[in-house]
Amino acid sequence: MVSSLVWYIREFARAEWIKKFLFAKTAPLVTPSHFRGFPEPTGKTCTHALFCMMACPAPGAIEVVHAGDGWMPKIHKGHCIRCGLCVEACPNGVLKSGRIRETMEREGTSLLFSFRIAIDTELCTGCGNCCTACPVNKQADAQMGAGGHSSNDDVIMRVQEGDIVVIHEDKCTGCKTCEVSCPNGAIRIARILEGYQQPVQEGWQ
Amino acid sequence: MNILQRIKNKVRSRSIHVAYVDVGSCNGCDIEVLACLAPRYDIEQYGIFVHNNPREADVLLVIGAYTPGWEEKLAMVWEKIPAPKAAITIGNCPISGCLFDRKGSFVDPPVKKHIPIAAEVPGCPPRPTEILQAIMSVRDSVFANWEEEH
Repeated sequence: MVSSLVWYIREFARAEWIKKFLFAKTAPLVTPSHFRGFPEPTGKTCTHALFCMMACPAPGAIEVVHAGDGWMPKIHKGHCIRCGLCVEACPNGVLKSGRIRETMEREGTSLLFSFRIAIDTELCTGCGNCCTACPVNKQADAQMGAGGHSSNDDVIMRVQEGDIVVIHEDKCTGCKTCEVSCPNGAIRIARILEGYQQPVQEGWQ
Repeated sequence: MNILQRIKNKVRSRSIHVAYVDVGSCNGCDIEVLACLAPRYDIEQYGIFVHNNPREADVLLVIGAYTPGWEEKLAMVWEKIPAPKAAITIGNCPISGCLFDRKGSFVDPPVKKHIPIAAEVPGCPPRPTEILQAIMSVRDSVFANWEEEH
């Protein structure tokens, strides 16, 4: 009985044990590397496609702003919900967050934007405001006049015989400048976000 | 700094009492606050105790986008806390209203307009560690040397 008492005292009187007993803490509170935090820049060049802003579900969370010579997305903390959709939607990989990019590369997934132009012929007056406002049209045909007439076949849309004709829907960048410039609300741009996955390589799974 | 103040600092740094109030959130941040109490994060090892009674609290955690029902009531809760005191907002909602601050909604963020806020923790929801860090930073900046400064 005495020996067990001595054993007890020896066991528990060690400095290490006493230290542990008095100052015990749970594991250090570090954020794991896979945690999907606020998106951070990877250092790649932003091409101002604005897909991050289009994909973002939280109001006012991301903005693409001037940074030096080019553009850079800016995350507003307090608005950002850390969903990571901007990271996935970016065509150039400007942002990173957790292991989203690694997962996308491994599984061959991507989020792709496409745009559809819908014109309500009942409301459209054929004024051509949308054609002249469109920044892609401006690049394709700098000579386009106020009526939206153009002899250039590279434009997205032009006015032909008093009606809007959409020629190159695939060139639309989804900026919705035409929607804003339309006096009747006749033109609508649908931003379609689709998830794609490449077929899994052989030998996987 | 006199000895009494030093003792007070020492004691206060190990005894922060917290009350939390949800002024209209989705409950996501409430769950994260609850996770702070659980063994994985174990908020009490830092000497932070949750009572949920403003009269014995030092720190008020405000969660949510401030719905109209909380007008006057939140200020009442804040006034009941004895000084020294600090309020911390948890999550995006008290900062910006997050997803609730849309056209036609009745929320009235930021909470900063209604009561003085010492720290804000962004995130939807924030990690428990971020909440813990905010409470501990407030503990050092607000409660240390309080008598000397007031």
